[in-house]
Amino acid sequence: MSFLQPLLLWALPLIGLPILIHLINQWRYQTKQWAAMMFLLQANRMNRGFARIRQWLILAMRTLAVAGLIFAISRPLASGFMSMIGGGKSDTTIVLMDRSPSMSWQGDAGESKIAAGKRQLGEALKTLGSEHWVSIDSASSEPTEFKTLDAMIDSTAFTSSSSTARVTSGMQRALEYLQLNKPGAADIWICSDLQASDWNADSGEWNVVRTGFTSLPQSVRFHLLAYPDFANENLSIRVTDAHRDTVVDGVQSQNFLVLSLQVFSSTNNAQSGRRVPLQLEIEGVRSEISVELNGGAAELREYRIPLPPKIESGWGKVSLPADINNSDNDFYFVFDKPPVRRVVVVADDPTTVRPLQIAARIAADGSSNKSQIELFTPAQLNSLQLDGSALLIWQADLPDPTTAAGIDNYVATGGQVVFFPPSKLLNGVSGEKRSYRGIEWTSWLDHEQSPVMVTAWRSDQDLLAATKSGGGLPLGQLEIRGHATIRSEQPLVQLATLDGGDNLLARLPTNSGGLYFCTASTEGKQSSLAENGIVLFVVVQRAIEQGQTALRGSLMRTAAFETPRLEKSLDAPSDKPAEKSERTAREASTWLQVAGPDVVSAEFDCHAGVYRFNDLLFAVNRPLTEDQYTVVGEEKLESLFAGLQMDRVDQKAGRLGGIVREIWRQFLILMAAALILEAALCLPKKRP
Amino acid sequence: MTTERQQRSFIDPIVLAQLAALPLVARKSMLGNVSGRHSSPHRGASVEFAEYRKYVPGDDLRRLDWRTYGRSDRFYVKEFEADTNLRMVLVVDTSGSMSMPSIGGTKLQYAQRVAAALAYIAIGQGDAVGMSCVAKGIVQQIPPRRSPAHLSTIFDQLEIAKSQGETGLPEVLHELAETVRQRALVVILSDLFVEPAILRDCFEHLRFRKHDVAAFHLLDPEEVQFNFQRPTRFIDLEGGPALFADPVEIADRYLTAIKTYLADLRQVTLETGVDYRRVLLDQPYDKTTRDFLVDRAHQRRSR
Repeated sequence: MSFLQPLLLWALPLIGLPILIHLINQWRYQTKQWAAMMFLLQANRMNRGFARIRQWLILAMRTLAVAGLIFAISRPLASGFMSMIGGGKSDTTIVLMDRSPSMSWQGDAGESKIAAGKRQLGEALKTLGSEHWVSIDSASSEPTEFKTLDAMIDSTAFTSSSSTARVTSGMQRALEYLQLNKPGAADIWICSDLQASDWNADSGEWNVVRTGFTSLPQSVRFHLLAYPDFANENLSIRVTDAHRDTVVDGVQSQNFLVLSLQVFSSTNNAQSGRRVPLQLEIEGVRSEISVELNGGAAELREYRIPLPPKIESGWGKVSLPADINNSDNDFYFVFDKPPVRRVVVVADDPTTVRPLQIAARIAADGSSNKSQIELFTPAQLNSLQLDGSALLIWQADLPDPTTAAGIDNYVATGGQVVFFPPSKLLNGVSGEKRSYRGIEWTSWLDHEQSPVMVTAWRSDQDLLAATKSGGGLPLGQLEIRGHATIRSEQPLVQLATLDGGDNLLARLPTNSGGLYFCTASTEGKQSSLAENGIVLFVVVQRAIEQGQTALRGSLMRTAAFETPRLEKSLDAPSDKPAEKSERTAREASTWLQVAGPDVVSAEFDCHAGVYRFNDLLFAVNRPLTEDQYTVVGEEKLESLFAGLQMDRVDQKAGRLGGIVREIWRQFLILMAAALILEAALCLPKKRP
Repeated sequence: MTTERQQRSFIDPIVLAQLAALPLVARKSMLGNVSGRHSSPHRGASVEFAEYRKYVPGDDLRRLDWRTYGRSDRFYVKEFEADTNLRMVLVVDTSGSMSMPSIGGTKLQYAQRVAAALAYIAIGQGDAVGMSCVAKGIVQQIPPRRSPAHLSTIFDQLEIAKSQGETGLPEVLHELAETVRQRALVVILSDLFVEPAILRDCFEHLRFRKHDVAAFHLLDPEEVQFNFQRPTRFIDLEGGPALFADPVEIADRYLTAIKTYLADLRQVTLETGVDYRRVLLDQPYDKTTRDFLVDRAHQRRSR
């Protein structure tokens, strides 16, 4: 139990007052000379027993009445936040409301978690009161001060969004706010469904945040209002690919929208064979299809929908019927003509990369959609333009820092890069050794006399995966007559390993895009990659395809407050988060909403929908992680707040009760009952 | 002598003068030494007709009722009651419990006043008055005498009487029943805090000896009402252990006990023919005495 006026609890020793009065009364006895002692002794003998119990009961009732009064004026609260005793009214109350789509999960009464949290938090904070109200937007992590609680509760920071809640970042901003403003005792309320993706519990930032809060001079208490219940079944939909395809039949051509989508059930025991209706909306025209749910999932791959001849690009939406979480029932997409297959080759020896150019030029499906190859030498790197390219093949010295930054940006947007050993390494020319992301070519090993074979490769995924028919790539037939060795500060993912354990093809793990290192040269003397052709062709084509997908993906954005910049001029990194966010907010506010829910323009980047900016049409949707309903474990959560004052109350959406409720009335009733009972016990007995 | 009387605290001449007009009457025949105002078991020459009796030779012929002879042709002798004086024994309880302070004084002081008034009246009408002061045993005993000078002795003894010690009233009453000559008026002035069953034996013993027993049961109003509120330490006036109690707690049981006791005592006195008078000490002693005398006079008249 906690109290709003805990200082009044210092009056608790007053509960001993009735006992003290009783003792004083006993001490102030009168002395009477008495003759009729025989009756007195007789009456006193009969008095023992119940009368003594009655006496104790009267004392207990009086004590209870005083205690009830003291507790009542201390304004007790019925809540699970036990450690609020002694705190009283805080100086600053900071609220971090999880706005992620998963918070739209509805409870039994049809009330969503965010609505329940908003209501219960509002009631609780209204009861508790505070001098200052600060809300931290879980999407932008921006702190905003409010004059009143109602203004804070009605703000957009308490509305649902499509972006992931960045709890860690919000905590960091709360810490910065407290460090900057130096308020008195502060309470930080976090209302969340504990979804693992929102909390990012494995992030090292938690250590920084924890240390920061521990070192604060003022008292900071955390109150976690958790809604971790994800028990009921929920379906979510996600479009994995949407592009336009044109089929030419003679002189006539027909445009198709090629759509791939997935439907997932949140529970594993979903009924197999159940058909789920899907509503398709393309440029405002609606149609309906259905998919069959098997094993808790359904997938529709390359579903072709005829498009009117004049439509070259557009937008669409797929929707599921209403269920327990409506925020993941819609998915927006845009489609456009396939991007140009542009491959950039940087080579210090053009003849060495000739096989690569050939492999890249031909379309995988044998169509006439040939790739556009652009060859650069190291001397021409100043004019290197990677925007819109599907693949970068690099057969030269590793890039200098300037070029490396450009390649980093390219990879960050999904670009694919394959590095091959430079010619001077093959020729044994020594010189300056460059490294890129902690990786550098070290030496060249010749195996002309006894070619080295590929002993192991990853056939389950990535560039060397088996074909769709299940047939593996003929890597075992490759003969490697010389290969480079690489040294890496980070562990590499080995895709193909040579006899002896050296890498043939390795990948550096990245958040997006692909960075591959092939240690063999495509030159005929050095390997059979060109002779064999199949492996090289597949690797290059798959890398191009991945790049193409990333290019198309730029039209499918993930809802986040700091949406990737659309103009280079705005791309300049900023060390000041406030400026950065402001700039992003302004950028998002210039977007034009084509389709989607009614939201304020400043928050377009946080809400699913279709938007247009500078003639570029793109869709914004919730992150993939929001469809994974894994919650942070109790132990993990405790470790995140280790050393901090944290109370947790688990609630369920739809539960009508408040999290904090004043119960002084009950104490007054208790006091009244105690007084009535005391009066009844004190009633003079009927005199015979 | 007038000066001495005025000095005694328990004597109010005005009250005595008022009471002197009332006779002290016995309920039973008394055996006195001289002629007096009370009926005697023996036949005498008073004007009070007693009965007719057949003439037997030797009877005084002057007592033959010739009218009866004329009507019945038989000889009858007309007999008259004898008038005698009475012997009144005042039994004054001087045990510790009689020192309980009350309105206007202690129980003993009240008893002194009543006893003095009765003695005065009795001596005044020629009756013999004796007195026994009782505590654990008989503390002081004065044999009955009828001379006016004896009154002074009684008053002296009353004056020096002090209440102390335990009560031995039952034993003393048995002793007095045996030692006091038959047919006396025994007046008991006590708080009678003895079990009624024990008192029954005493009263029956006195009745067996043909004594006319009157009992003034002196009670303090607080003893009957028990209206205490604060915790009280009750000190036993007869030297027993003190008792600390909350009167509120024990009032009901106390009152039940005393009510039962009083009812039993009344029953005992009714059955043993004792002239029982419950006296609350807030009642003026002259009224108590007057009521006692008047009631007895009425009883005599009705008989």
